[in-house]
Amino acid sequence: MKFIIFLITLISFVNADQYTFLLNKYDKELELEAKIISNIATASIKGEIKLYIPEISSIENDIYSKFFILTNSCEDANFIFIKRNVDLDFYCKNNNSKLFFTNNYEKLLNNDRYLGAFFWNKSRPNITFIKARLEKQKIELSKDYDKFVEDF
Amino acid sequence: MKLLILLFIIFYTSLFSSNLDYLLQEYDTVNQKSLQTVDEKLGHVFLYSQKDIKLMQYQKLNDILKELPLLNLNKNRYGLSSLSLAGTKTTVSGFFRVFINDHEISSLYNQSAALSWGDLPLDFIDYVEIYYGESSFSLGSETGVYFIRLYTKKGIKENGNEINLKGSSKGSSSESFTNAGTFENGWTYLFYGNNQKEKETRKYKNDKILNDGNRRYLYLDISNDNTDINMAYTDLKKDSYMGLSYDAVPEDGEIATKDFFVDVTNYFLNDKSLKTNVSVDVNNLDNSEINKEGMSFLPVRGIKIFNKDLEFTKVKASVSKSFEYKNNNFLTGLSASEKKYTKGNNTNNDFDKEDITSVVFQDDYNLTDNLVLIGNAKFDKYKRSGFLEDISEELYRIGAIYTPFENFGLKTFYTKTYLPPSFFDVDYAFLDKNLDVQKYRIFTIEGVYTTQKSKTGVTYHNVEIDDFIYLEPTIGFMNIDHRIKTSGYIYSYEYLFENSNKIQINYFTTTLSETLNNSNKGGYVKYMGEYDKFEYFTSVLYRNSYTYKNLDIDSSYDFSLGIAYNINKNLKISLKGENLFNDSTESLYSDSGNDFAFDDYERSATLSLKWKF
Repeated sequence: MKFIIFLITLISFVNADQYTFLLNKYDKELELEAKIISNIATASIKGEIKLYIPEISSIENDIYSKFFILTNSCEDANFIFIKRNVDLDFYCKNNNSKLFFTNNYEKLLNNDRYLGAFFWNKSRPNITFIKARLEKQKIELSKDYDKFVEDF
Repeated sequence: MKLLILLFIIFYTSLFSSNLDYLLQEYDTVNQKSLQTVDEKLGHVFLYSQKDIKLMQYQKLNDILKELPLLNLNKNRYGLSSLSLAGTKTTVSGFFRVFINDHEISSLYNQSAALSWGDLPLDFIDYVEIYYGESSFSLGSETGVYFIRLYTKKGIKENGNEINLKGSSKGSSSESFTNAGTFENGWTYLFYGNNQKEKETRKYKNDKILNDGNRRYLYLDISNDNTDINMAYTDLKKDSYMGLSYDAVPEDGEIATKDFFVDVTNYFLNDKSLKTNVSVDVNNLDNSEINKEGMSFLPVRGIKIFNKDLEFTKVKASVSKSFEYKNNNFLTGLSASEKKYTKGNNTNNDFDKEDITSVVFQDDYNLTDNLVLIGNAKFDKYKRSGFLEDISEELYRIGAIYTPFENFGLKTFYTKTYLPPSFFDVDYAFLDKNLDVQKYRIFTIEGVYTTQKSKTGVTYHNVEIDDFIYLEPTIGFMNIDHRIKTSGYIYSYEYLFENSNKIQINYFTTTLSETLNNSNKGGYVKYMGEYDKFEYFTSVLYRNSYTYKNLDIDSSYDFSLGIAYNINKNLKISLKGENLFNDSTESLYSDSGNDFAFDDYERSATLSLKWKF
């Protein structure tokens, strides 16, 4: 799976330098976001990933479905990415066996259901996993991820 | 083949500690290209991405405006850099519409953004899109020909603090502070504050012309997924430079402005296709001048003390909805605004209020996979107080974007539009205040050819203007009674090297049916890039020579050079030299009825420090 994502990543950037006219909405940023989440989910879960994004938009649905099996409910998913200000308990009641990721660092700090966050800090994209929560969920990430793991 | 892929992977993994590192780096790179809001259907696009602004060390909006093709950025009598169409030194006119996000910041008085916003620092600006073409069809704004859209940085991406300090060899300085954060509930904010001191003393004959000033900018953006609230305040106190003085050297003079706006945009529905916008603007302008030789551009030259204290307000509300049907993308919108001249209108006219109601309709129809047809219509109704009669105007545009091959495309528009007279135009029309709207017919066609690394473009324009509003020194603003024609080309070329290094070349030439009183040809060569911890650029901006009456104005070659060093990922120091050949453009002025030319700006160097924490 990692290898396939890597190849897709590689191919997409080989010919992407110049454009003639941008007729469709530019979605490269969203595509990369989906690839990053895919990379994170693949590193965290062995086996097939079923992703749920509450209140997903149609364009997000189109892009994310290239990399994931998307589900319409929390129950059917094993990886949940919270992108918006939604009530997590409303969408995912007592589903603590699933993995939760967010794009909001404050959410990560204040709600221990989240394993990690993909967010911007000082104009740069960042990824943070919380070590204690990884251990609690019995997730072992490869050494490449050490720099993204915070122990607090 | 498998071996090749394996070797590549080994090479790749040795370059990046993990696949995730590479993806994060690409994510950042793509974000800095600033392509997310580009709308090819608005016109011919010139993009200044976040990366371009960083590498080229653009510090103020005027740094970008002065290199735009088909335009000249000259200094006006008040010491402000103002845009003109190539070949002319037109005063304020409404050609140019400047926006911060969705909000237009052009002056409510004279439709120009030069006074309050020309020196806007770019520290809090993410990227700039410039559209050549009438974009009010899609934006529901007032009409114009060039649309300059500044997009501010957002709290969600900045999420931290930043201090920017600048000092120039001329004694000017600028300090700014940015604070941005995100809350757990999804709301984000970005606050920006700036203080600038400008120093400029110029020698003219045996006198000194003063152009010192002090500007402050405050900006606040509060937003979440569906709401964007922008608030901005700026004030300025500066010398009046030549002002209105008959001999171009006032005894004393000052300009003071205070501008404020609040703008609230809401998006509805899952696809955000329903949008509402409400905004309030207040502009204050206080201008005083003393000159014993009297003033120009006023009905009575004998006036020795000039004083005006003006205030304007604007309230605007709009709603728009986009939707798809078969191969059509429709956009429809309704907007209403009320502009008031609330203080200081004592120039013998009662035009002090203008209500505009507009309806816009746009359809882009995908005839085939590689051909998009665009149709626009806009209906504006003006209710004007006082002696100016109410008017209704219709604007139309048809266009097509054709990309027969992936690396070759054509884009064309034919537009019928108009520009109404402003409060300022009417105030300074001494002979006939009943000014007519200016009528424009614009044809443009752009061809683009790309390879993987290069992009070559040619754009042709042909414009006819009826009832052009012109400032004649003795009788003020008037409608020109004949048709003005202009046509020309913009040639552009860009080549991308490794590591974000690139070269951009641009050249334009235009003809005008009137006497030229400004450069009508120009261009630039820019090279920018980065290596390790260094960023660098060099550029030459060119404007051609011309002769006006008995004045021969030389060509201008504005050569700039800059280097920046990233001490660490949070601290950067930059040095920039501008106009190093001391060969700036010149502007034409009048001294006691005689025309003379004067350099727009001098050689300077700026040292900057940026600290993120």
